[in-house]
Formats: sequence, structure tokens, C-alpha cells
Amino acid sequence: MPGRIGSFFRSLLRKGAVEQALDDELQSAVELLTQEKMKEGLSHPEARRQALIELGGVEQVKEEVRAIRPGMFLETFAQDLRYTFRELRKRPTFALTAILSLALGIAATSAVFSVVYAVLVDPFPYPGSDRIMELSMRDSAGKDRYAGLNGPQMQQLRQTKSIESIAGMDQWNLTTTDGDLPEDVRAGYLSPDDPNHWGTPALMGRWLIPSDAPYGKDPQPIVVIGYKFWQRYYFGDPGVVGRTLQLVHKPYQIVGVMPPRFKWGDTDIYLPLHVTADPSIYFGASIKLRPGVTVAQANADIQPYLEQFAKEAHAHYPEKFRSNLRSITELYAKPLGPTLYLLLGAVASLLLIGCANVSILLLARSAERQQEFAVRSAVGAERLRIVRQLLTESLTIAFAGTILGVLLAWRSLALIIAWLPENSFPSESVIKMNWPVLLFSVGLAFATAVLFGLSPAIQLSRPDIARLMQGSGRRVMGSANTKRTHKAMVAAQVALTLLLLSAASAAGKGFLRLVKADLGYDPHATMSVPIPIHENTYGTWKGRSEYFEQIRAAIASMPEVIDAGISTNATPPENGWDTRFELFGSASGQQPEARVNFISPEYLTVLHIPLAQGRLFDHTETMRGAPLALINQTMARQYWPNGNAIGQQVKIAVLKDEPPYSPAASGSDGWLQIVGVVSDVRDDGLRNPIKPAIYVPYTIKMRMFTQILVRTRVPPLSILRDIRARLVRLDREQQVMQVRDLEAWITGLQEYSQQRFIATLFGVFSVLALVLAAVGLYSVVSYGVATRTNEFGIRMALGANSSDVFRMALTSTAVNVGAGLVAGIILSIVFDKLSTRWVMESSRNPLILAGVTLILIAAAALACFLPARRAVRVDPMVALRHE
Amino acid sequence: MGKERTDLLRGTLDLLILKALALEPLHGVGVSRRIAQITGGAFQVSFGSLFPSLHRMEEKGWLEAEWRASENNRRAKYYRLAPSGRAQLRAEERDWKQVVKIMTGAVGSA
Repeated sequence: MPGRIGSFFRSLLRKGAVEQALDDELQSAVELLTQEKMKEGLSHPEARRQALIELGGVEQVKEEVRAIRPGMFLETFAQDLRYTFRELRKRPTFALTAILSLALGIAATSAVFSVVYAVLVDPFPYPGSDRIMELSMRDSAGKDRYAGLNGPQMQQLRQTKSIESIAGMDQWNLTTTDGDLPEDVRAGYLSPDDPNHWGTPALMGRWLIPSDAPYGKDPQPIVVIGYKFWQRYYFGDPGVVGRTLQLVHKPYQIVGVMPPRFKWGDTDIYLPLHVTADPSIYFGASIKLRPGVTVAQANADIQPYLEQFAKEAHAHYPEKFRSNLRSITELYAKPLGPTLYLLLGAVASLLLIGCANVSILLLARSAERQQEFAVRSAVGAERLRIVRQLLTESLTIAFAGTILGVLLAWRSLALIIAWLPENSFPSESVIKMNWPVLLFSVGLAFATAVLFGLSPAIQLSRPDIARLMQGSGRRVMGSANTKRTHKAMVAAQVALTLLLLSAASAAGKGFLRLVKADLGYDPHATMSVPIPIHENTYGTWKGRSEYFEQIRAAIASMPEVIDAGISTNATPPENGWDTRFELFGSASGQQPEARVNFISPEYLTVLHIPLAQGRLFDHTETMRGAPLALINQTMARQYWPNGNAIGQQVKIAVLKDEPPYSPAASGSDGWLQIVGVVSDVRDDGLRNPIKPAIYVPYTIKMRMFTQILVRTRVPPLSILRDIRARLVRLDREQQVMQVRDLEAWITGLQEYSQQRFIATLFGVFSVLALVLAAVGLYSVVSYGVATRTNEFGIRMALGANSSDVFRMALTSTAVNVGAGLVAGIILSIVFDKLSTRWVMESSRNPLILAGVTLILIAAAALACFLPARRAVRVDPMVALRHE
Repeated sequence: MGKERTDLLRGTLDLLILKALALEPLHGVGVSRRIAQITGGAFQVSFGSLFPSLHRMEEKGWLEAEWRASENNRRAKYYRLAPSGRAQLRAEERDWKQVVKIMTGAVGSA
């Protein structure tokens, strides 16, 4: 129907002309009728009056005509919109508050849920990642021990019907030898027998294939590089496949580049693993289950194999154990789960508070406007039209809130990503805006706006016109229904805000405790330089201990350096390896655990750790691998409460000689004599009690790796390049791994950064909630005062003084706030269990509860006080004349 | 003017308007007066129904409108039957006669 469509556009485009024509037509009809009446002998005014009556009202007829026009809907919509903008401009505070309330809720919810989704729902890019497992053995004490597998064991396990594939894994720090300074490269060695284990095709070239490393044969000199390494080392050169990469002087041909999200093992490059039939070489193993196989079934399948392996190599296995497969999702993505769910709860509360605010504002405002609608309906506005007008206003607010909310969500997501504790989630997860949840929160915002924009509208749009017209708007009391809704909303807001505040202060308190924790050492101006060595180098005990000492001395002799010590595994505040030891003279078989640290004597002076008793081992003792040990005070107290630790002896069985990877001094696994007690240092993080610690000379047993602890006169990291240059002079392949100063070792602790993360976000959210709730209260009291101005005027005229009025204006709200406070306190106590587990601090703490209650009361008082003052200032004469 | 009779009329308003305009172009008030005249004053159409109907029939293309001077030299919007309106009038007249014949037969037989 082209004609109809034509007229649709005509009526849209030439809306003004069409309206004008209708206006002219009706005016002329009025004149014609007037003249008719005048011919009958009526005076002009009377004739005109009669004419208008016969026509039935110009505006009504216009409405009727407009109603049949196509394009009518859009036309009135534009009209409504214009009117809406005028209204909102007239009351900017109302509009801004409503829009901000929605925007904050939408932004916080979408940003936090996006993180939850990326980390918990879709953390890994590998197809079937929920079937990729790590194998450990759970002993009778409930502790998990990692189960490595040797070549023949892998071959055997592959026969199990619940296992689809097994990938052997190993990691080495290699170094590039085709640049000016050797660069550290983290190399992942993977057995390529089943390339589908990860199911991820290469970005360019190919992934590892079985012929790269046939079982028992030497692997091919090929390498697949990771995306980041490709970007960093080759600047994303598209022609890199086919070129040669020199690693520790051996050329490898690059056969592929992996896509950005493939970060298995967080390594730079991937090489084929040389799996041999030698039963003494163990590898890490990643096991992929067949689809449909449950973890319990797989464990049951594997258990007999593991028991068989335990019979063959007794030392590697605990006495009694159960096979314990855990998916990589459970291991690497789940730990952040509780934190994120807690946050999600917080932001959901924020969204609810925001929505409650909007509904309070809308309800209060429509009550204010009852009279306006009465007038409009009297001059011919249909009920549907009024509803549509209100709907337009609500939707405009929702729309503006949404746009602002989406923008805010984007910003806050970037902030949250920057704040997320490092290494607390799989590096494969890509955190980006989650559209479904953005849509959900936007939907909720719209639903709130429509529901609360309309519910009063429907009852309002057919008011008793006569009564409203006669009365002043101020005499109109809000309906009982509206008031009940207000009360519930206020109480709910206060309760949720209190819950958020108490969670936030508990989190903040927990964080403060970490910050104030007594470390026992001095972390300032000190860094830890980790140094790996290469396969087939420094294989003898003498060679290696001297090389490590050369490195230490080279760094210690630099002018910027105060002192340098060796700390193989002893960088605090989470240091040492949990190791079983035996006490001389105790019943054999008793094997308590302590944290064993491998150090040089300078370690204690660099960290300013005082000696409490006895003496340190000296340089010559260290260099000959003397069987001596120091212990910390905790250990001394625990085993020798009478203070007679010095001269006692301990034996650590695992310190046996294992060349060429881990050479040990002669007598290392014999009795070690305790020569000194050093004061306690945090060795199990900032939160846990200090564990018993044993310090032995680093030369007792060495790995393919050492760390030098360096105290400097200048900012530590500034001398890094000099250090690297000095090390290359000792060994031209010697690289340095990533270096951090000791403060970064503290802030990088998961417990620290996670607590800081929770405390900050909760703090921000609870302040937002407080502000929103205060605004909600403010509007409720303002509304109450506005509707009762008249009443207050009369009361004051009859002799009520201002404090009476003040009290009246506040009483009902105070009751609601009180109910909200009580509910909030109960909620906080109920959620206490959750908060102690996740925020690491009890929210039932009476001090915290009292504190946040006071804050809330103060905010509520302020929010109520301002509008209530308006009630007191009511001039009785003005109020009464309002009639 | 009983209320029921105007209601009854509503369904046949289109026919009456077309009939009123069949002789000569008229403005809105003129259409109202002509209908009163041809029905012997039995039906008086309210302007609230008349104007929307006129506009709807104009949208449908049954009527054409033009502005010209009225009998007392004022500008007024005159409606005139378009060819499709004339066809519509014939069709509605035929339908109406059919209904009357059937209804008369039905009512008379009782």
C-alpha cells in the first residue's frame, strides 16, 4: 500500500503542517457553527459557547482524529519524549539520581560477572578442558602428593579405558644464544604422542606431532613458539616459521606459532619431550579422560596401576594413598571462585539498592504529580495516553542509566583486571565484557523502571478528577500502597547496605592486619635474583658450589651493593621446602616436618635477621659443605623448650647425593649439628603461624638453580643490567630470570593481593551503597514532607512547635531505618560463616557491627535531617493559603 | 435522539457520509447537517465521530479534500467523493439493500 506508507511519512515529516491543517479545519468548523447559532439570534459569546459544546471540545476531537492516523504512534512518542526532557530538565536532581543509581548497579554487576565468567566458566581455550586432569596421590593424612610418571608407566596407563591421552611434561629455563645478552627462555617439553590432547591448532605452521619424538629415540631439533615469545623476540614477524632459533648454542627449527590464548604451563616455547624407557626419570603428566567418564571411575581405574607402581619403586610413594585426579579447572580456576562469588553478591546487592532507589524516586514523583495528571485527563488526555507518557519518562531514565552504565562497566572492568591478584587465575582466561549479563542487568533496570513507573500510573491515570482538581496537590496524601512499598524499600536498602558495610570493614581489617604483620626481616632495598643453570653444566659438587659462590661474590663486589647472600629456596615470606627430618635420640620412625632452607651465611645479614643463640656457620664451613644447621626460635621452642637446642643433631634423609642434577656434599644425609638459633621470620606467608625452620649451608645439596639475595644502596632493580653483564663475563650463557624486589614478593603473595583486592572492591561498593541508600532515604522523607506541608501548617497554626513537627516528619522513617538496621545486623551475623571463610575476618565482631551501624545512622540522619528541616520552616500562613 | 439509535448508526456512518457527499462537496459541518437532513433529523452525528471518519476515508482515498471559501466567505476544508469513493458508495448501498431485504423478510415472517 504505497499510498498509506506515503501518508505515514507525510504525517511524520510534515507533522507540523498536518497538525496545522487539522487545527484550521476545526477552527473553521467552530466559526461555522457559531455563525449558525448567531443567525438563530444568540449573542456572539453565547453562540461560540454553544458551538464548542456541540463540537464536543476541540482538543478531544483532535485526539480522536490523531488516533486514526498512521504514524500516530511515533508522533505521540516524539511528543512524549519532548515533554519528558522538559520534565527531567525541570528536576535535574531527580533525573540524575535515578540515572546514576541504575548506571552504578549495571556497571558493577556486569563488570564483576564478566570476571566470574572468564575465570570460572570459560577459563581455558582447550576443548574438553574439564577432562584434562592432574594426577596426585592423597595420603592417609589427607595431604596431596604430586604423582610423576616415568616412561614405562605412561605407556601402561595409556591402556586404561577411561584415559584418552597422557602428555608427559617437563620444564627448563633455556637461554637464547643468538642475541647480545643471553635471554631467559622458559621451555616446556611435551610428549607429542597425542597432539589432540590440547586440541588447539597452531596459528601458523604446526603443533608438535608424534614423529617429533618417537618413543625411546632422540627428539627432532624443532620448536613451536608461543604467541608472546613470537611478539617479544621476533616482533610478530610473519615469516618466522622455517627460521632457526639458537638455544644454548644448539639450533632448533621453528615449525609453528601458537595462538595467543594457548599458554600451557606458562612457558615461552614448546619442545618435544624425550621420553625414555629409563624407570628412574619421572615426568609431570597431564591426563585427559575420555568423554563421559566420571572422575571417580577414572580414579578407580588408575588405583591398581598406582599400587603396582608403588610396589616397584617404594620410595616415591606414600604408605597408603588414593588416586586423586583433579581437573585443571578445579586446580587453577576454582581458588578464586569464593572471592568472586562474594563480590558478585556484593554487586548484586548494589544493583538491588540502585533499583530500589529508582522505584522510590519514581513512586514519590508520581505521587507529587497526581494533580498534573488530573488536569491533563480533564482536558482530554486518554488514560492510555497518560500511561504512555509515564512509560516514556521511565524508559528515558532507564535508557540514560543503561548508556552510562555500559560506559562505566567498561571502565571498571579495565580497573578490576588491573587489580586482579597476579597468578590467581589461569593466564589462559581472557576477561572481556560478558554480553549476556550486561543485557541481563540492563533488562533488570528497564523492568524496574517500567514496573515502578507504571504501577502508580495505572491507579493515577483514573483519579477522581473533580476531587483532585479542586484540591491542591499538596493535600493529596500518598496512597497507603505507595507508603507500604516505600517502607519496605527503605528497610531493605538499609539492611543490604549494612551487610555490605560490615563485610567491607571486615575485609579492610583483615587487610590491615596483613600490612601490619611483623615480618621478622627487613624487606627494603633488597631483591632476589633467580639464576638457572643449563643441562650438562656444573655437574660436580665442587664445580657447582664454586660457580654459585663466584656469582655471589661478583654481585657482592659491585659498588652499589651492600651485601649479597645465597638463598636457593629461602626468599621470604614464604620460604623453605617442607621436609621430613629425624631428631637424634628420638624413637626411629618418628618423622616430623620442618621448612628446610639452603643459604649462605650472608643471607642472615642481608635480611637483618638477628642470631638468638649460638653461632652462624662461616664461609669456609659453607664452602666445604659442613654438616651444620641453624634453626629458628619456633623450632627451638617446640623441640627443646629448655633452651638446649645448640649441639643437638637432626637428619634429613632426602638430602642424598643425586648427580648430575642435584649433587650433595658428602655426609649430607647424615647427622647435622645445630650450631645456632636465629630469630623467627615469617616463612609461611603473612597470615599463618610461623613454621619450624632449618637453615643449612646451600652447598649441602644444590639444584639446577640458585637465587642471590642482594641488598643495595640504590633502588635494587636499577642495577639489573650491570648484574646481567657481570654474570655473562663468568659464563657467556648465564641468563637471569624475572627479578622482583622483596616488597613485590610480599605484595605478590596471593593472600596479600587477594585481600587487598577484596578490601578495595568491598570498600568502593559499600560506599556506593551507602550513598545510594542515603539518597533513597532523602527522597522518601522529602516526599513525606511535601505531601504533608499543609498538615504541618495547620498543626503549627494550632500551636505545635517546630520540634514536634520535626519529630512527626521523621518518626515513620526512623522506624523503617531501625527495622532495616536490625535486619542488616541479623544478616551480617548469618553471613558471618561465609565472611570468615572468604574475607578471613569475622563480621560478627561487635566493634565492626557497632561501627558500621553508627556510620549508617549518621548517613541516615543527614539524609532525613535536610528535608525534615524544610517541614519546620513551613510558614503556617503560606501552607494554609495553599488551598 | 436516543442513545441506542446513534450507536446503531455508527456502523452505517461511512455509508451516510458517502451518500451525503454524493451530490456535492461539503465541509465537515455541512456533512453533519446534510446527514440530519437526509435522515429527516433522525440522526445527528457527533463531531467526535464524524471528523475521524472523514480523515480515515481521506486516508483510504475514498474522499478528496480541498480548501476553499465557504458560503459565508470563510476558508473551510471541503470533502468530495473520489472515484474509488463512488465505487465504495455503490458497493455499500448494494450491501445495505441486501441486509434490509433479508432483515425485512426475517422480521416480517415472524
